[in-house]
Amino acid sequence: MARSEGKKTVPPGEAPRVIDQGSVWILVAAPSIWAAHFLLSYWVAAIWCAKLGRGTALAEPRWIIAALGALCIAVIAGLAALAIRRYGGVFVIFEEITESSERARDKFIGHVALLLCVLSAVAILFTVIPGMVLGQC
Amino acid sequence: MTEEIDLSKLPPAEPYDKARDEAQRARLMKVWQTPTGWRRISAVNNSSVGKWYLLTSFAFFAFAGFLALLMRAQLAVPNNDLLSQSLYNQLFTLHGTAMMFLFAVPIFEAVAILILPEILGARDLPFPRLSAFGYWCFLIGGIFVCGSVFFGVAPDGGWFMYAPLSSNPDYSGLGADIWLLGLSFIEVSSIAAAVELIVGVLKSRPPGMRLNLVPLYCWYVLVVAGMILFAFPPLIAGDLLLEMERAFGWAFFDPDRGGDPLLWQHLFWIFGHPEVYIIFLPSIALIATILPTFAGRPMVGHSWIVLSAVGVAFLSFGLWVHHMFTTGLPEISLSFFSAASEAVAVPTGIQIFCFIATMLVSKVRRSVPMLFAGGALAIFVFGGLTGVMVALVPFDWQAHDSYFVVAHLHYTLIGGMLFPLFAGVHYWYPFVTQKKMSDKLGRWSFWLMFGGFNLAFLPMHWTGVMGMPRRVWTYDVTDGWAVLNMVSTVGAFIFAAGFVVLAVNVLWPRGKAPLVERNLWNAGTMEWSAEVPDKPWGVRSIPYIHTRYPLWEQKELLGEMDRGEWFLPDAEEGKRELIITDILDARPLYVQRVGGPSYLTLGSAFCLGAVFILATFHLWTLTLLFGAGFVGFTLWWLWTGTSEIPEKPEKEAGRGLVLPTYAQGNNAPGWWAVFITMTGDMTAFMGLVFSYFFYWTALPNFLPDAAKLPGFGWLVIGLALLLAGWITALLARERLAGGGTAQAMALLIAGVPLAALGIGAWCWAAWSAGLNPTETSFDATVWVLILWMGLHLLLDAVMRLYVAARIWRGRCTPRYRADSANLTLFTHFLALTAVVIFALLALFPMLMGVV
Repeated sequence: MARSEGKKTVPPGEAPRVIDQGSVWILVAAPSIWAAHFLLSYWVAAIWCAKLGRGTALAEPRWIIAALGALCIAVIAGLAALAIRRYGGVFVIFEEITESSERARDKFIGHVALLLCVLSAVAILFTVIPGMVLGQC
Repeated sequence: MTEEIDLSKLPPAEPYDKARDEAQRARLMKVWQTPTGWRRISAVNNSSVGKWYLLTSFAFFAFAGFLALLMRAQLAVPNNDLLSQSLYNQLFTLHGTAMMFLFAVPIFEAVAILILPEILGARDLPFPRLSAFGYWCFLIGGIFVCGSVFFGVAPDGGWFMYAPLSSNPDYSGLGADIWLLGLSFIEVSSIAAAVELIVGVLKSRPPGMRLNLVPLYCWYVLVVAGMILFAFPPLIAGDLLLEMERAFGWAFFDPDRGGDPLLWQHLFWIFGHPEVYIIFLPSIALIATILPTFAGRPMVGHSWIVLSAVGVAFLSFGLWVHHMFTTGLPEISLSFFSAASEAVAVPTGIQIFCFIATMLVSKVRRSVPMLFAGGALAIFVFGGLTGVMVALVPFDWQAHDSYFVVAHLHYTLIGGMLFPLFAGVHYWYPFVTQKKMSDKLGRWSFWLMFGGFNLAFLPMHWTGVMGMPRRVWTYDVTDGWAVLNMVSTVGAFIFAAGFVVLAVNVLWPRGKAPLVERNLWNAGTMEWSAEVPDKPWGVRSIPYIHTRYPLWEQKELLGEMDRGEWFLPDAEEGKRELIITDILDARPLYVQRVGGPSYLTLGSAFCLGAVFILATFHLWTLTLLFGAGFVGFTLWWLWTGTSEIPEKPEKEAGRGLVLPTYAQGNNAPGWWAVFITMTGDMTAFMGLVFSYFFYWTALPNFLPDAAKLPGFGWLVIGLALLLAGWITALLARERLAGGGTAQAMALLIAGVPLAALGIGAWCWAAWSAGLNPTETSFDATVWVLILWMGLHLLLDAVMRLYVAARIWRGRCTPRYRADSANLTLFTHFLALTAVVIFALLALFPMLMGVV
């Protein structure tokens, strides 16, 4: 707000505006889900193999890993929908979101978040593959 | 919803007045002047500290490179006896250690400290004294670690210091202690820099620079500083365990006592692999900044590069076990890490494709920086391809610990890190010195290095496939590696010659050479807005930025800045001032005052350095004395230089904008610094938690019988006391805000005995159950968790007394109470730590049916 009739311009209030408005958490949400899935898969398999010994069949962990993967990808799909709907994220290659406005900043975050959703989903699929292929510890 | 200030609708600047401009410049000059002569060491300006950091890192690089040449000389011919085996072991350990810890990571910090504030159109980073402190820590620690080789006691267990070679003092002498303590000390400076850079990018942007307008370099800095925060602390936890075993015989890595050497490998590589990307990303960031300048257009796929930086940062934490493919872990575990290692190639590739696309759609100007950038991409892509090969488990089993891996890692690091850095040196040299480097020498150094590098390292792929193991001191002529090794040695010396040419080009005195013109490369980023000759204040006035490449797209900007038409054009109060903005849209929030030149940081770093060095030699009394000195200097520094109550609550920042001069809670950079530091601290703690569960997974009977567990009742009492201590901090904050200063002080002080009793109850719980840390890994783990809590409570006590004293002396008041808010934030983390430890010691054994 510009100075009008000699009034001084005072900056906006105190809130750090990270979680509440136009939040940036969506940027780290999808890769964090990848990390969670990755670590859980690793722990499930590691504890299973350590406690039951080498050569144990991996039937149960396999389905835990796959089910976790499906769940995580579903959540990521939800995040992607959010990135498109709330932020206005688009999947383009030549992005030119260079306008100086709150809307453009949101669109930029939505765009990057959407790309990260795709990357994270692909990385989760990568993690599920060995779970499907390997039969025993 | 907060109110938006539309910075584009601010009233116009007042008409130019030459007398006013000169008066303002004189005042700014007085405030920001760098001390001269011997007093220069007290300087804290980012331009001084950044330059020292850069030159020191390059000095360590030259030193480590010289060690590499010695090794290559030794390997030039079969059965060579130029060096003894023991010296050779020290050389390769120190070469790797110095390149990683004393060059690759610090140079990122050096470059960032030097150019980040200018790219952000800021006067300095938000904590200039912290940068200076970090630099001095780095210098002292680096000299200590490197100097050891002249006394024949350099670390010799490899740069990864694997246990049990490193944990048993019979196998490894003083060198391992020097490595552990010296590098822990240097990690302090890395974490200090990370805090500084994260807050710098998030809070010190110029007004108007929204997230979608942030330059790529700043994104990379943010991402890498964040990675340091999660990658370095696990190694600090590992260092703690290893040093406790070496110094006091605690049982962490000794299999006879329920320890496991593999735990060290996990903790080391949880640090070690992200480390590779911590090195790589900031250098790629330099290319991402240089390339648009010479392409003459914005980067293609700006947000794709942001995506890949963030993506790589995450995925790189899922790769650590690919250094451990031959340790006998279950194949299913190996394949997860193999999959992640392949996945990380996707975002890495995206960045390279964006660079290539930018070059394709434009006409690239030829220049020495672009020559280095091109060479970097060629070498790095080659190294990346062999990386995809060794990420496959069966291939890795063949290539592991052979020269193939040596070739691979040097291709990625020299292509991904060193060549981009040299491109940056040529590009930013005029920015730092206002003189230009010789193009002819630049081309000579490039071709010598590019040719020499490939001649040295390409043959190593074959030497490796032919079976030559890494780290061997010599070999026999019948092995058949002689010719290839000779070629590698010749290449290494040509490479070194190229570096000498570069060093001469950089260090050549150019006193009489003409100054360069302003923005000589016609770049779009803000650092080239600096006036020629340079001024110590960074920017004449802090501009309003509303484009990605301000110098290209805001035509009037330079003139407006020079005439002092933007924010904070003056220093009326004689204080160094910055504008702090908000994270999303860079709205101006308040004017931050930062400290000027000081010897306190130097004293603080010196004492801390002495603590680590004396501890290496187990001189405990002196260690404690210097520890007290460190605490004293640091408190003095904080007391006189932070959270100062301003002489007026708000000030005119220019263009009719009035900003507060004090901030507290999550508006203040100090609060963010505490938050970020404690996040790193929690990561180190998670390293200890990981160790607990690792033992539980790997050992069949890690948890002892119920009689040998710490007493449940005492653990509960201890937790209750610790949480009560936390509540006193919360109440103190409330009381202070409500005006009750005496009550606030009483509550803060009351927390100290509560904490002492709480940790005492825990110690008694472990002691009365007969837990002896030198006997089993369980006992040692319990005690190290209690020790961790105890050390933090000690810090807590110091901070409480400090804040109480600040309240008493009227430096922390009901209105200006940033210190109290920061302390409370610290105690939140402490409470969380206490609850987690309680869960591990009391609840988990119960859950597993032990009690």
